Amino acid sequence: MKVTLPHMGNIYVAFSALFRALNIDFVIPPPCSRRTLSLGARHSPEFVCVPFKLTLGNYIEGLELGADTLLMAAGPGLCRFGYYAKLQAEVLRELGFQFQVVDTQPFEGGRITGIAKKIRWLANDAPWPKVIAAVRFALAKIAVLDDLERIIHCVRARELVKGTATKVWQEAIRAIDVAADSRTLHQTKTDYIEKLGSIPIAEDEQPLRVGIIGEFYVVLEPFSNGDVEIELGKLGVEVARTMFVSEWTKISLFLSALGLSPKREIFRAANPYLKRDVGGDGWESVGETVLYATHGFDGMVHLAPFTCMPEIIAQNILPTVSRQSDIPVLTITCDEQMGRAGLVTRLEAFVDLMRRRRRAPLHQGRGLNLAQSRKGR
Amino acid sequence: MTKVGLPRALLYYQYYPMWRTFFEELGAEVVVSVPTTRAVLAAGSARVVAETCLPTKVYCGHVLTLVDKVDYLFIPSIRSIERNVYNCSKFLGLPDLVRGTIKECPPILDIDIDINKGEKAVRNQIHWLGRHFTHNPFKIDRAIRRALAMDELYKQTTQSGLTPPEALQKLGLDDSISGEKRQGRRPLWPSENSDLKIAVIGHPYNIYDGYINHQLIERLKGMEVEIVTSEMVTAGGLDAGTAKLVGKPYWTYEDEVVGAAGYYLDEDVDGILGVVCFGCGPDSLMIDVIQRAAKTRKNKPLMILTIDEHTGEAGLITRLEAFLDMLRRRGSRLAKRGA
Repeated sequence: MKVTLPHMGNIYVAFSALFRALNIDFVIPPPCSRRTLSLGARHSPEFVCVPFKLTLGNYIEGLELGADTLLMAAGPGLCRFGYYAKLQAEVLRELGFQFQVVDTQPFEGGRITGIAKKIRWLANDAPWPKVIAAVRFALAKIAVLDDLERIIHCVRARELVKGTATKVWQEAIRAIDVAADSRTLHQTKTDYIEKLGSIPIAEDEQPLRVGIIGEFYVVLEPFSNGDVEIELGKLGVEVARTMFVSEWTKISLFLSALGLSPKREIFRAANPYLKRDVGGDGWESVGETVLYATHGFDGMVHLAPFTCMPEIIAQNILPTVSRQSDIPVLTITCDEQMGRAGLVTRLEAFVDLMRRRRRAPLHQGRGLNLAQSRKGR
Repeated sequence: MTKVGLPRALLYYQYYPMWRTFFEELGAEVVVSVPTTRAVLAAGSARVVAETCLPTKVYCGHVLTLVDKVDYLFIPSIRSIERNVYNCSKFLGLPDLVRGTIKECPPILDIDIDINKGEKAVRNQIHWLGRHFTHNPFKIDRAIRRALAMDELYKQTTQSGLTPPEALQKLGLDDSISGEKRQGRRPLWPSENSDLKIAVIGHPYNIYDGYINHQLIERLKGMEVEIVTSEMVTAGGLDAGTAKLVGKPYWTYEDEVVGAAGYYLDEDVDGILGVVCFGCGPDSLMIDVIQRAAKTRKNKPLMILTIDEHTGEAGLITRLEAFLDMLRRRGSRLAKRGA
């Protein structure tokens, strides 16, 4: 049995730690690339969203490397996501691959014990303490990754030689991936914090600050959003987001399974504009825009997969939020047709707009959504 | 009298008789928007972002025609009407989307229907809705009972073989055309000399909105084709159809597409015509499931028509005619082989 799973940002680091600790044979598919996307897009329904296409591509590449067990997320929810596993398995069978599916249910109705049981089953019924220790170590790895990423966001906008932080970040991911025990992990974290601290930066720089919001997959998987955070960093913009892999795991695997919602503040902020959960992350997108505006951010970048209905609802409501909270919002629709040049041009224009707004604080420029700027103003 | 506006879009074709009965029992006047026109669609499209799906654009257009005619707009947020089966996001966010994009809109009656919160919660929401019109809870209860009875009657009428617009006509609820105009119109019920029977599957708001699909249903009837739809299948038949194709249902209005397809794939129809709109989230996956099922069965021709506001009438007719030609030739070939 050889397990594989799709990519979503750095979540594979956690899973490979888990599999290694439990002696489960596994293969991590190569990172998302143009090939992944074109493989996925070729075999997907035409109008499906890009997370489906990319993860399907990951499975194909994983199966090509000899995997025979696919870890798939499934379960009822408020977007297409729950249907994925069923259809992807069917597509892959039609392509002639032989495999079995292990489905996990991380969303509504999903129970934390359910996932743990699946992992334990994969590990040939390893004793519970061993499973729990492995899960804890895996989660610790993501926590370290996320802590470092927050620092990266800060350094990237200020560094003197553009691209240095990103290079250190790549090294850090590799180092964390190979860290075999908690002590090495801790040491790696300290080392890299130091390394990042020694990158020469423009000390007195007050970079523009932009909040990243949108659908969780395209936010967390840099390939799917054209590395928007790196591109913004190159333009001297500091990005912030509330959605990190560790947060996402914590919320969707643990807190929602226990019936807790740590997002109450976000939902309260969204309430004047959007009163209810519309699936995906539409509610969060609206609420976070309001919150970031009150924290003095210069703008928002809203990432949405093409034809993602929850985000389209948010996108329709965001111009109102933008006007009333006085914060510009740029929506970027992610799909296989997205080109890097077009993305960078739009980001540059957006950055220009935010700079001008900052230079003229008295002007109190009315917020606007670039996608909407031609109509309804 | 308090006027309540009901847009002639999205869930109108399923629930209009029920909603109308409910509001009228409470002493309100129900105002329905006129059938979709080019202007209605254009006005709706201008308010929302381009990626928004066609039915939602149409819906916003209908809301715009009602804004200065009514005291309230009834736009429910229907999250779930079956346990652990959820609705497409557009039905959840509809009241907020309308409020956000159409500023001049009158107060919206936006009840939340979520059966997962329990039947009592749903009933409370309906009572909250009723209290806008009366303070007598018994009157509200009676209105609910009568509304449900009307809904039952409407369902029976469609299951007897009528499409929703025909059923509305039969029940005297169709106010889309004035009296004398109705006189001159061809009756819609099944024509006597049809030689083909086609199942038209898709969401009612795509199939029965004659403007967005270029009068698809009437055109088919004009081509001597008998039409069957998901409304003519019993709830049990639809559930079985869904179970056959996808196992457990996942979306609330999945039956209209997957259930009907599952049912008609093994029924005595000459072909299946699927109607979807560009960018529909649920349909993007459901249609794929149906195409796979049809491919494995091999004996049931299936054509998918994708519509949006740019769909040209000529192209649509050409495809339709080609499909019917193919079915007729296939029919005569099969007959010859049988003879």
